[in-house]
Amino acid sequence: MGGAWIDGRPVTVEAAVAEGARLLGASRLAVIAGLGTDVAGARAAVALAERIGGAVDHMHAGATLRDLDVLREAGMMLTTPNEAGLRGDLLLLVGAGLPAAWPDLPQRLIERTPGAELGSAFSRRVIRLCPGRSVREVAASGVSTRTVGRDPAELAGLLAALRARVAGRPVGAAAVPARQLDALADELRAARFGVAVWSAGELDALTIEMLCRLVEDLNAKTRFSGCPVPGADNAAGVLQACGWMTGYPIRTGFGRGFPEHDPWRYEALRLIESGEADCAVWISAYRAATPEWRRDVPMVALCAEGTAFGRPPRVQIAVGRPGVDHAGVEHLLATGTLSAVPAAAPSDAISVADAIARIAASLPGDRASPC
Amino acid sequence: MLTRIANGRVVDPAHGRDAVGDIWFSDGLIISPPAAAVADETFDAAGRIVMAGAIDIHSHIAGYNVNVTRLLLPELHRGGAAAPARTPLSTAGWSTFSTGCRYAVMGFTTVVEPAVSPHHALHAHLELADIPIIDKATLAILGNDDFLLGLMRAGESTAIRDYVAWTLSASRALGVKVINAGAATAFKFNARKFSLDDVVPFYGVSSRQIVKTLQRAVCDLGVPHPLHVHCNNLGIAGNVDTALATIAAAEGLPLHLAHVQFYSYGTEGSHGFSSAAARLAEAVNATPCVTVDVGQVMFGQTVTNSADVMRQFNARRQARPRKSVIIDGDANGGGIVPYDYRADNFHNAVQWAVGLELFLLINDPSRVFFTTDHPNGAPFWTYPDILALLMSRELRAEWMTRLPAAAVELTTLPAIRREYSLRDIAMMTRAAPARLLGLSDRGHLGPGAVADVAVYAEQADRAKMFAAAALVFKNGELVVRDGEVLHYRFGRAFAVSPGHDRAIDRRMTDYYQRRYGVAADVFAVPDAAIGRPDPIERVPCAS
Repeated sequence: MGGAWIDGRPVTVEAAVAEGARLLGASRLAVIAGLGTDVAGARAAVALAERIGGAVDHMHAGATLRDLDVLREAGMMLTTPNEAGLRGDLLLLVGAGLPAAWPDLPQRLIERTPGAELGSAFSRRVIRLCPGRSVREVAASGVSTRTVGRDPAELAGLLAALRARVAGRPVGAAAVPARQLDALADELRAARFGVAVWSAGELDALTIEMLCRLVEDLNAKTRFSGCPVPGADNAAGVLQACGWMTGYPIRTGFGRGFPEHDPWRYEALRLIESGEADCAVWISAYRAATPEWRRDVPMVALCAEGTAFGRPPRVQIAVGRPGVDHAGVEHLLATGTLSAVPAAAPSDAISVADAIARIAASLPGDRASPC
Repeated sequence: MLTRIANGRVVDPAHGRDAVGDIWFSDGLIISPPAAAVADETFDAAGRIVMAGAIDIHSHIAGYNVNVTRLLLPELHRGGAAAPARTPLSTAGWSTFSTGCRYAVMGFTTVVEPAVSPHHALHAHLELADIPIIDKATLAILGNDDFLLGLMRAGESTAIRDYVAWTLSASRALGVKVINAGAATAFKFNARKFSLDDVVPFYGVSSRQIVKTLQRAVCDLGVPHPLHVHCNNLGIAGNVDTALATIAAAEGLPLHLAHVQFYSYGTEGSHGFSSAAARLAEAVNATPCVTVDVGQVMFGQTVTNSADVMRQFNARRQARPRKSVIIDGDANGGGIVPYDYRADNFHNAVQWAVGLELFLLINDPSRVFFTTDHPNGAPFWTYPDILALLMSRELRAEWMTRLPAAAVELTTLPAIRREYSLRDIAMMTRAAPARLLGLSDRGHLGPGAVADVAVYAEQADRAKMFAAAALVFKNGELVVRDGEVLHYRFGRAFAVSPGHDRAIDRRMTDYYQRRYGVAADVFAVPDAAIGRPDPIERVPCAS
């Protein structure tokens, strides 16, 4: 259990920490990437980036920022998985990505007992929009389910046509016949508390925006909201921590001594492959994931037990899994918020937060730590 | 270490003190001047004003809704200066770190986040833990939750009291907040307006009944802070009637009405929008059991962040910039709607004047509290400018010359001559808030008080004076000098844990399994999860 390596050779954690600090101290621009960690690990990572003038990126930032771009450019109406399960009488499941993003969706959402306040006449319907090949994966007993559209590539056009028909505007040819489109529009308008559910993983921002505008339009007459399913590896929890500490989401850098957010400039893959970043910290505590980049840069890897790299990183430290080896705070789908998860099988494996604290303590110079 | 602040003008209305003299403290507490002792450290406060650290009872500084606000508006908080080594992230705009620093340099040492949905309590405490210098607290939102409304429907008043106690303990909150009682739930049922006697579908309870029920529970539990009420009909012309009806509903028990500037509107004039502040002030003056905070509007770009989701949904078309986030949360809701208050806008000019009228027409500075409902009326860093306006009618007159005359004429502000004294300021921002929150060890400079001390350089420009304290001590430690934070130290969050029948614990466990399919304690706020040592300080309830 546990372990540390320098260039693939087993060493003590102390030696690995010292070498990691040396590499970061010597770097011009370091990027802290992956960021699959709990809130404590995310806080430590942001504090470290600030200290060394580096940048932070999360392995699922692309998807996270697609949802966030829609929110901060166009606005959004949001509800929680709990509220969707308690009162959603029409669940609009959008795209092909939901079974992978939320495997428990059938039990936690579709089959959820509605709140007694909705009355005995409550009935739930599920509509799957362009589910692609994933259509078979959402099986739920006793709930009326149908599919509209098939190929996810048609989704953007279908949503645009649907939005037009909900507003009573004319459309040309759409991916589904006019009669089916209008029936769907009627059904959406007749919902009492409809919820659109999606995962940004395989949707582009314009499609998400069209969906969100449709949701908003429906609120002219009835109640409808949206439930984006966050990415894995505590993407939502890391986003929250980065947000309150810096004011910005991930893909933020500290090269000028204050946080600057730029989704293009501070993408870890681009920073590394372009040569702008000359050092990387790769963090993946939940699973044995490795970076996407190919370029050989000095890397300090804080990763799950058993992670194997093509090329051994300069420094590798095996870290514990939050909620298993140690307690941790994460964003949970079951609660829709940041929640404290106790250690299911506590061990003395070092946490990401501890590893970073030790590295930071070994850095040259004297700078206060915010956490 | 023995510290002496020498020869300052000590303004401590809690002890009837406004005179030149010394303040002594040791081990983080104020002490009586020792008979024959030499201080280890002496600070010369000649020509300076010495007050207890200021206390803000209503400012949205932490939690899920606050974080959505940050993420919605990156364009409004771009930084530009590198943070000093001793205060990392202090220049990160709208961050928790900059929040603590900005409050500290103004001499504020305790701030209350007034609206935390119980399921977001851990998130709020995590953010509070990353706000340096100040002590803090939260208020837990109740009044839309199925469990409470179900108990009311069933007439189970004893269980209601236990449930309120359970919620306060579980959320680690200092008091109870109710926001447009019942409206967030009614909105889920497609209601679009909600007044004091409107009824929540299915449950059949009115907004008034919810407020009265929670008021009674808070009193019975001995929670020091009164029920903190965000009334119905915020922002709507003529809504002074709602505020007056809510004040009347207090019926002799303590009740606090939040940001009442937003409820002081009449319907006169060509815009059908006027000031009714004089009527509201009169009602407050005549009702000693009621306290209010103002929620002053100041001109400039800001953002409204409120759990009054129905109101925010209705207001979203006025968003500037034109985007908003509307949240149907667990039980409660939220709405983030950016807004730009403009001096040339008729409505905004009336709103600005209304807030000042309320400060100046409510006679007792211990019952009117100093807030902008940050960020809803204005960011909290406008506080020095507001204090300057309260202290100078000449300054108010100068501001009014830049506003639409027709708006100013629909208020009584031009005729008001009153000017706040330093004693009034100290009462309103120190002594009174400490008492209202049940914090007996602060808001004053008597022996035994925590050594939270603010020292200001006396100057005619009051805005400048209050914007950058000469010295600020937190728990006896010097943290600010000449408007700059010297280093971080981290405060604690105050919370009550009223005694209650533990049968409610079992009941909540069962309820959460049935309704949410999770254990109730998955929403808990364990000390160890908060990320600072010893993060909570318990405040006693009157038994």
